[in-house]
This record gives sequence, C-alpha cells and structure tokens, in this order.
Amino acid sequence: MSLTRRTALATLASAPFLAAPAVQAQAPVEITFNYPVAVGGPITKLIDGYAEAFSRENPGIRIKPVYAGSYQDTLTKTLTSMRGGDAPQMACLLAVDIFTLIDEEAIVAWDDLPGSDAPWLDSFYPSFLENSRTAGKTWGIPFQRSTIVQFWNKEAFSAAGLDADKAPQDWAEQLAFAQKLTKREGGQVTQWGLQIPSSGFPYWLFQALTTQNDVRLMNAEGTRVAYSDPKVAEALQYWMDLSQKHMVHPPGIVEWGTTPRDFFERKTAIMWTTTGNLTNVRRNAPFPFGVAKLPAGRRRGSPTGGGNLYVFKSASPAQREAAAKFARFLTTPDRAANWGIETGYVAVTPAAWETSAMRAYVADFPAAAEARDQLPDAVAELSTHENQRVTKALNDQLQAALTGRKAAVPAMADAQAEATRILRPYN
Amino acid sequence: MSRTLETLAAWLLGLLWIAPLAYALWAAVHPSMYATRFDLLAPLTFDNFTAAWAAAPFGRYFLNTFLLVTSVLAAQLVLCTLAGFAFARAKFPGSGLLFGLVLLQLMILPDVLLVENYRTMRALGLVDTILAIGLPYMASAFGIFLLRQTFKQVPKELDDAARVEGCGTFRILMRVYVPLARPTYLAYGLTSVSFHWNNFLWPLVITNTVETRPLTVGLSVFASTDQGIDWSIISAATLMTSAPLLLGFLLFQRQFVQSFMRAGIR
Repeated sequence: MSLTRRTALATLASAPFLAAPAVQAQAPVEITFNYPVAVGGPITKLIDGYAEAFSRENPGIRIKPVYAGSYQDTLTKTLTSMRGGDAPQMACLLAVDIFTLIDEEAIVAWDDLPGSDAPWLDSFYPSFLENSRTAGKTWGIPFQRSTIVQFWNKEAFSAAGLDADKAPQDWAEQLAFAQKLTKREGGQVTQWGLQIPSSGFPYWLFQALTTQNDVRLMNAEGTRVAYSDPKVAEALQYWMDLSQKHMVHPPGIVEWGTTPRDFFERKTAIMWTTTGNLTNVRRNAPFPFGVAKLPAGRRRGSPTGGGNLYVFKSASPAQREAAAKFARFLTTPDRAANWGIETGYVAVTPAAWETSAMRAYVADFPAAAEARDQLPDAVAELSTHENQRVTKALNDQLQAALTGRKAAVPAMADAQAEATRILRPYN
Repeated sequence: MSRTLETLAAWLLGLLWIAPLAYALWAAVHPSMYATRFDLLAPLTFDNFTAAWAAAPFGRYFLNTFLLVTSVLAAQLVLCTLAGFAFARAKFPGSGLLFGLVLLQLMILPDVLLVENYRTMRALGLVDTILAIGLPYMASAFGIFLLRQTFKQVPKELDDAARVEGCGTFRILMRVYVPLARPTYLAYGLTSVSFHWNNFLWPLVITNTVETRPLTVGLSVFASTDQGIDWSIISAATLMTSAPLLLGFLLFQRQFVQSFMRAGIR
C-alpha cells in the first residue's frame, strides 16, 4: 500500500523532469556547487562573488553554491544526497577523499570533460597534483590548498637572546631554540618553546615530521602504508621527546583550534599550523611575527592539505562543460591570486604568483611567499582507499604515544597492523 | 551527617552542571584576550554578540528553527495522541503486532535512515524545505509509546462514567484522557523541542539555503577550525542561540521537574 503510494508520488514528482529536455534548450544550465564552509563567513562572500562574475561572463550558466559546513559535513551531505539520487554537479572536498570518491563511483575525471585540456591540467604546482591524480587521470582540480608552516613570535625570540629574524632551520636548532624559549616560573611553564597541534588530525602534522625524516607514509596507488618503517617511529620519538624528555612542548594532546590563540597570548613562542591561518594571525597577533618553512630533519618537507574541485557523474554533458568552464574561470592566474590574497591559501599555479596583484602583495607581506617556496619539498597528504579508517588507525596510535601510554615503536607497529587489515581487499 | 553529604553532593553536581554555562557567559561578555584568563576587573563588552549576530543571518535562522519545532511538536501531539489512544484502549486485530512495529522504530537510530529519508523527501519534492526537516520525526514512536502507557494508567471507571454521561469516543479522549496526561505532554514537549532545536546532521543534509536552515547549521559558521577558534564569539553565539531554551527552562523549571517525575521519563 505505502509502496504503491510512494511510487505514485515519485512518478508525480518526477513528471516535470521527464518533460524537461524539451525546455532545457533555452533554460540556463544550472550547477549546484557544494562548498565546505558555513554560511556567512567572509569566504562565502568571495565564492558568491566569483559565481556571479562567472554568470555575467557566461549568461547561459548559473552556479548555485551550497555552503555545507566543515569538510566532513560537506562530504556526508554530498554522498547522502548522491545516494538519494540528487547529487550536486560540483563540490569542493578534501584532496585526500579522492580514493573514497572514486570507490563510490561518484566522480568523473577532468581529462574526460569537454573544454579541459592537458596544458591547463598541467599548470598547477606538481605537489598539489600529487593528491589529485591516480591511475593516469586527474580527478581533482587544486583550489583551496595549503601546507604547514611555522609562525614565530619575534618579541619572544629577542627576549630569549635569539636572532628575531631567523627561524630554526633544522631539528637540532628547533630543539635548542625551544629550550631557550621555554620560560618557567616555579613549577609552572608560562611560555612553551614550540607547539605542534595533535588533536583531530594529528597525522597531518606528523606527516611533516616523517617527510622531514625522509620517509613516505603511503604509496601512490593508496593501497599500502609504511607506518611501521623505523624512520616513522624515529620521527614520532622526536615529537614525543620534545614534551616528555626535553619539556619544551606542552604534554599530552595539543588542541588544533586553540593553538593560534595560544600563540597570540604568548603561551607558545613557535607554532606549526596551516597557511590558511595566515590572514588570521596577521589580523590578531599583538606582536611582530615571522613565517617560515618548516625546519629540516634529513630533508625539508611538509604535506600539502586542503580541498580540490570535483565533478560528479550526475552532471549532464552540458553541465560537465559548464563545470569545466567554471573551474578554469576559478583558476585563472588573476582569480587564483585574488583568492590566495583574500584567504591565505596558497595560490595554486605558478602563473598566479606572477600577476601584478600578487607581486604587490608579496612585496608588502613577504611571509605569504614562504608557503609557496616550501612547495618543491612538499608531498601528498596521507590518502588511501578507506581513507578515514586508515588515517584513524594512525591518529589513535599517535595520540596514545603522545599521551605517554605507548612507546613509539609498538604504537606504530599496531597502527600498521590495523591499516594492513583494512587495506587487505585492495592488495 | 548523611544529609550534609547529600547537600554537598548536590551542590557539587550543580556546580559541575553550571560550569560550562558560567564559562560561556564569562567569555561572551569579555574581549577575547580574557577568554582563558580570569580577571575580575576585565573590561565588559557587548561586541562579541554583535559580531556573532552579524556573522550569519541569525534572525532568519531563529524564525526557521521556531517554525520547525512548533510544526513538529504540533504534528507529534496530534498523531501521538490519536495513535497512543488507539493502542491503549481500542481493541482491533493485529494491534499487538502493530505496536511491536512502532516499538521497533524506537531501536533504530535516525542517522541510519539518512539516505532513505533523503530519497523519500526527494520523491515528495520536498528537498530544501522546513517541512522536510520535520516530516521524518512527526510520527514519533517514543511519543506514541509514552502516551499509550499514560492512557493505560487512566482508570477505566472514568472512561465508563463519561460514556454513561453520553460522551462519544473523541470527547472522552479530549475531556478525560488528554487532561489527565498533561504532565506527560509537558515532559514530552520539552524533550521534543530541545531535540529538534539541537538537531544538526539531518537539517544540514536536507537543506541548501538560508531560507530553510535552522540555528544549529548557522552556528557551525564558527566551527571552521581552519582559521582557529575564537572562544568569545563562539560563546556569545551559543548563548544567543540557546537563550530561548534556557529561559524557558529556568522559568518553568518547577513544572518541568514535576512533570518529569510524574511522567516517569528519565
């Protein structure tokens, strides 16, 4: 009874769509674009502005941005509506979701879209493309991308007798600086030397340490991880020693969200965080600060991070063409430069850094170029099939080690065992 | 001795309960540099509230949330009363089985049905409407169950007496059963309103535009951890959005507590 009624209603509801093709010839092509930010922030105004400017240039196309909260919320919303038969045509989602989206058969490769070509797809920084390509195709267009950099408090450096304009260049220096910068009053620490956040997604910051220790956490196919490599445990040991042995880094889990505030309040002299925080720090730090590439271990390195643009299978041929047009519009040098300047995300093509607007910005605020200069050393963010579970295996063990409940080597061995088990179907 | 201990424990629990609220209040009325520093002389400010209010169209969100909780509650009261009454008093073949099915619904988490609900809403053409947020919750198994139990406790004699006086079934329900179940309605209404006031995932998934989104989805604008968290503004926004619920609770506290005791919801 209820089944037949529902079918009847469904038929009724879909009747207008069945009649649609005849009308579609004149009607504008509409693209729903899921974007990972909640309504109201400054970023929504930018995106709305880009969508409008695009429609003015292309009267036949309308972009409808839908703001859906965090990356996680946006992925949930996008996949739910897709399974409900109502997928968006385009979305900005984490670059690391690439395997998840392919496994869900949700997205199409950009190479196959009308209006996209190899020169455009090759125009992005190679380290951003590492997370966007697999099996010889480009699945994501780099857009809202970042890397990890270190911010330091110049006043605190001067007070500790260090050169205020020189950030630590390698692991040994980082430890030595942090020891000088840690201030104790009685038993209490009033200022930590260094803070590396470890809440939420510790794997991302940890991946900077492992890259610096010259080891890759996963293979390009996303089917294997190298958590139990001795160099990985070595990198973890360095991080643990900062707090547990040398006591220059807060013990336990360091909150990601409040680390910038700790920095502003002089609770830490150096912090590691995303370049996406650049504008925030510039606006709120009550003291002169510096921004630099992360220090080198055996080499320099940081993972990239942030979101790519994806096109969904649900898009009709006209919508696919429109989506490619819109993505090209968003990544023209001028617009990529404008986006980078307004948000602090790294402009995604070398050409964007050559625009006059970007040159003027960098001349005024040289720190902005640090993230770009780190790109040659940057690697793809940890991303595998069953990505959420495989990174969680690492996250859990990292936090166990950082809170002192496990030693580095067994923690990483356990993470490896769990990840290998999860990835078995793909090997 | 044991009395002092009890009082002490009650105070301790009370303090624990109020601590987050007290902190939110502290952070909301001081500049953000005092968010994690206690200083009695810290300057007071209202800026956090204005900043939070300006960050998102909260006026519209308030209206949406209000429409949502009232429409859901109204529909729930009507549906659950009728269904509860039928299960409690009417004898019809298969009533046991049907009630079992209703109880089964209690065991299923709403989040599991996300995709199926989305499909239904799409088939009904309701995606991105306030009605779509509320519709899956209107026939509440919990409400039916609760009212059935309450109606069952009503003495059969009252029912019979009303019938002798010449009341029809519907009038008996309205004149005898509903008034006697008032504490249950109040307790159930409170849980329903606070649940829908706080619900996040389903409204986020089913809505796309400012015109339909409720407060909780609007509140998530402040949770973008990429840019760092500003406790003062979050606290201000949280206080602002939860104020109607808090006020309602504080004003009607006694009635709520009593009705919870009588209705037996724990």
